[in-house]
Amino acid sequence: MSEPILRIEGLAKRFGGLEALGGVDLSVARGDFRAIIGPYGAGKSTFFNTMTGLLRPDAGRVIFEGRDVTGEPPHRLARRGVGRTFQITSVFQDLNALENVQVSLLAHARRNWSVWPAASAMHAGRARELLALVGLAASAGRLAGTLAHGDQKRLELAIALASEPRLLLLDEPTAGMAAQERLESIRLVHRVARELGVSCVFTEHDMAVVFAVASHITVLHQGRVLAEGTPAEVRARREVQQVYLGEAA
Amino acid sequence: MIRVALPVLLLLGLPFALSDFWLFIAIEVLAFALYAVSFNVLLGYGGMLSFGHAAFFGVGGYAAAILIKQAGLPGGVAFALVPLVALAVSAAFALLIGYFSVQRSGIYFAMLTFAFQMLLYTIALKATSVTGGDDGMTGLKPPGLLAKPFYYYYFALALIAPALYVLYRMVNSPFGFTLRALRANPRRVQYIGVNVRAHQLVAFVISGAFAGLAGALFALSTGNVFPGWLNWTASATPIVMAVLGGVHTFLGPAVGAAVYVVLEVLISGRTEYWPLAMGVIIVALVLLMPEGLSGFARRKAA
Repeated sequence: MSEPILRIEGLAKRFGGLEALGGVDLSVARGDFRAIIGPYGAGKSTFFNTMTGLLRPDAGRVIFEGRDVTGEPPHRLARRGVGRTFQITSVFQDLNALENVQVSLLAHARRNWSVWPAASAMHAGRARELLALVGLAASAGRLAGTLAHGDQKRLELAIALASEPRLLLLDEPTAGMAAQERLESIRLVHRVARELGVSCVFTEHDMAVVFAVASHITVLHQGRVLAEGTPAEVRARREVQQVYLGEAA
Repeated sequence: MIRVALPVLLLLGLPFALSDFWLFIAIEVLAFALYAVSFNVLLGYGGMLSFGHAAFFGVGGYAAAILIKQAGLPGGVAFALVPLVALAVSAAFALLIGYFSVQRSGIYFAMLTFAFQMLLYTIALKATSVTGGDDGMTGLKPPGLLAKPFYYYYFALALIAPALYVLYRMVNSPFGFTLRALRANPRRVQYIGVNVRAHQLVAFVISGAFAGLAGALFALSTGNVFPGWLNWTASATPIVMAVLGGVHTFLGPAVGAAVYVVLEVLISGRTEYWPLAMGVIIVALVLLMPEGLSGFARRKAA
């Protein structure tokens, strides 16, 4: 079996007396579309923030493509090929959609330090391609802050893809959407990730969304891994039904 | 074409139209325009409110004064070196102050810049043998023809116009794009591979260097530099100018600087309560034109 793209061993994080992560193991194979589920407070966001260096882990290791990247700051991880989107939509509100993607392309091309040439035309062609890929071709000139919520989520996906990540972490990519829109939205992510060969790890509350696209599911409960496997395997586990699926369904 | 040619002709022709007194004011406007625009690179583009930017304006002024008075160079040489030395010294101070200040953001960033500026203020007050203490340093007028406002105006313009152009290129460059993105969402910027603090620090150094050039050119115009230039009230000046003119337009703060300086001259000539009148005018302008004069003009034009 080949080296997994992401391997996490015993990741732990405490906030004072609260154990947010109690030693989480995770192994994601190349090409996986991995869902991380769990009730509110299960530690999903902390897990994302800790494995991407935004928070310093108290223990454990994060190994990306065979390299120990534990505690590396987000910008370094991004350069290694780990992208991320946020639960609270994070686009650059007062830049237009095209500029949002351009900024990311410029950073990826290591041009963000150049202080003299005019940026407006740089990578504009590629930026338009990415906007088209997520279905925003017609909105290139609109200020990101004026886009509908779902469109901002797509724009954020385009921003993340502009860095050509090999692993993309999506924190609740369908948060704040209506049921039908959620499915469309996750299918878009799924299709684009397939097309570009990006492995994905996403957190999600909506079981319909999870079972529609996930190749594997990891269930977090009180900061620990409760169960893991294919959707069919996870669905069959009784303790999962008790703590989570039972409540949600 | 007209939009470029007209202001250029106006700026070049000004010395033929104005009295020495008003020309002196015009030079002050130029210097503060550069100061306010360089400050606004941080506030308007980077979303960083420096509450200690007088540090760099003051350091530029003192660098010029110390070079002229104490370096022991022939007058002409010292004078010719002023622009470069002012840029370099204030950039160095900005690197030091910025390194610590960008470790924090928001109000904590503002407080750190504020504290460093007060530190420099105290040094300017107490290091009497170098800085002249409370009395400041005087007799900094350039030699020869440049002592006359007519010629000094062109000298200042020849440095300030290119400096503004450099800043203009910078805010529209990939670096400037990244800076704007950073204002909107610093966390998001990290995840596209940008080292946020390094980026902020470089912006801080560029901003501080040009603020220092502005301070040095102003010092040569008035012939003096005083510790008050480094006091915290002096740090409010570029903030007021930028907000007055509009922080979301490149030249907005320059417009704000012109209005501020001219108003101050007109009102202080009539009443000793000019800060009171200025305060009322600024409150009215900010309430009526929340995006500043330039934002207001743009909206009217649209």
